[in-house]
Amino acid sequence: MTVQELHSLVDSSNAVLLDIRLGRAYAEGHIRGAVSAPFSQRGWARSVAAWMRREAPSYAVILFGDNQIVTQSAAQALKAEGIVIEAVWDQGLGPWREIGLPVVRVDNITVDVLRTELETWAVIDVREPYEHRSGVIPGALKVPLAQLPQRMQELDPNQRYAVICATGSRSQSAAAWLAEQGFQVANVVGGMSLWLGGRHPVERG
Amino acid sequence: MIWYPMNDPSLGCSSFIVGDSASGEGIVVDPLGAIGVSDYVLAAQDLGITVVEVVETHVHADHASCARELAAALGVSHGLSHRAPAQFPFHKLSEGDVLTVGSVTLTVWETPGHTPDSISLVVRDKRRGDDAWAVLTGDSLFVGDVGRPDLADADPQMIRRASHDQFHSVNRLMALPDFTEVWPAHYGASPCGGLFMDQRTNSTIGYERRYNPFLRIADAETFVEQQQRLLKPQPEEAQKLRAQNLGRSA
Repeated sequence: MTVQELHSLVDSSNAVLLDIRLGRAYAEGHIRGAVSAPFSQRGWARSVAAWMRREAPSYAVILFGDNQIVTQSAAQALKAEGIVIEAVWDQGLGPWREIGLPVVRVDNITVDVLRTELETWAVIDVREPYEHRSGVIPGALKVPLAQLPQRMQELDPNQRYAVICATGSRSQSAAAWLAEQGFQVANVVGGMSLWLGGRHPVERG
Repeated sequence: MIWYPMNDPSLGCSSFIVGDSASGEGIVVDPLGAIGVSDYVLAAQDLGITVVEVVETHVHADHASCARELAAALGVSHGLSHRAPAQFPFHKLSEGDVLTVGSVTLTVWETPGHTPDSISLVVRDKRRGDDAWAVLTGDSLFVGDVGRPDLADADPQMIRRASHDQFHSVNRLMALPDFTEVWPAHYGASPCGGLFMDQRTNSTIGYERRYNPFLRIADAETFVEQQQRLLKPQPEEAQKLRAQNLGRSA
């Protein structure tokens, strides 16, 4: 399959575009509408199949990966669960970018840059309430990761958001999801561990 | 930090995925043909890491490597000692070179003896501190034993020279702190070691200093004589395997 064929397939098909690369790769760039489901050998196909039956019954899947061995393994596992695979792409995002097709991406921002530009960012802290005891960036909006979809309407589409968690891992998923919803977001690399390590201001209590 | 050994018990071979879970990067060390390219690729995916390099501690003579195929499947470089007489392009590693994955570093120590192209990789995690906490010793230092000196070149003069090198290499490793973990490329009844090789996959520098019979030998001459006296027969097809792993048709 050429990248042009992939493009027209993504545009015309109503199959679910399943991005099986690691979460980091998805955050760095993905095709709009792609659902992130990083492949793993244990339990992955079963949970994807359960999600498909719940959210998109009777739809096929376009698998999007960046390594032939991983995409083949994923395709086999999904077929065994009875999921119909419409197409498989294993060349990653490189060819898609090369011909200038749009990607959804999350920028990374360091704690030092966030500190100096804090006026122009709204911070979303996606940690759980018990984690706030170590300190929260002044003015940050506290939205635990799981509540993000329900509380999306609190967000302003014209505002830039910096998403933070403890280490930068959950915030990456949250930021990728918000980017997919059309918000301007950046992921704070290293999260609160680096913010606190850099002795930047926090409020407690 | 990610530390994921992958072993082949049939030949007593160890391989490793070493990585940093925060940066999501890793390095595969000494991948085994018996395990196969797919298993390494899928293991790295399961661990959530992107492999940035495939490294070998030396060109092996006892088993088929899959380092070249794995590096090709992942689109990354294949690192070997600059002294490896390989027929394919590779990333030439020299004394003091540092491979970095996030906060984890692997520092190259040239430890010739088993083969001229043998290296050890000293592992640090900057998040923990500056001390080395582990060393991948390849076929230089084993648990309770040292690597045999006759597989790269079976000429008697060359065996003596290699054994001399091995004496200096394994004693050099003793400069590491006692708590440093030792993770060789072999364990059990691997043909690359001698009679004393332990069933365990790992130990510490302190354990080896205290109990490895070869490290109790103070002078090089006695060490060389002892190694020669205890030589086992060569593994089957040793020359063919080493040639194959070097990219030559044997």
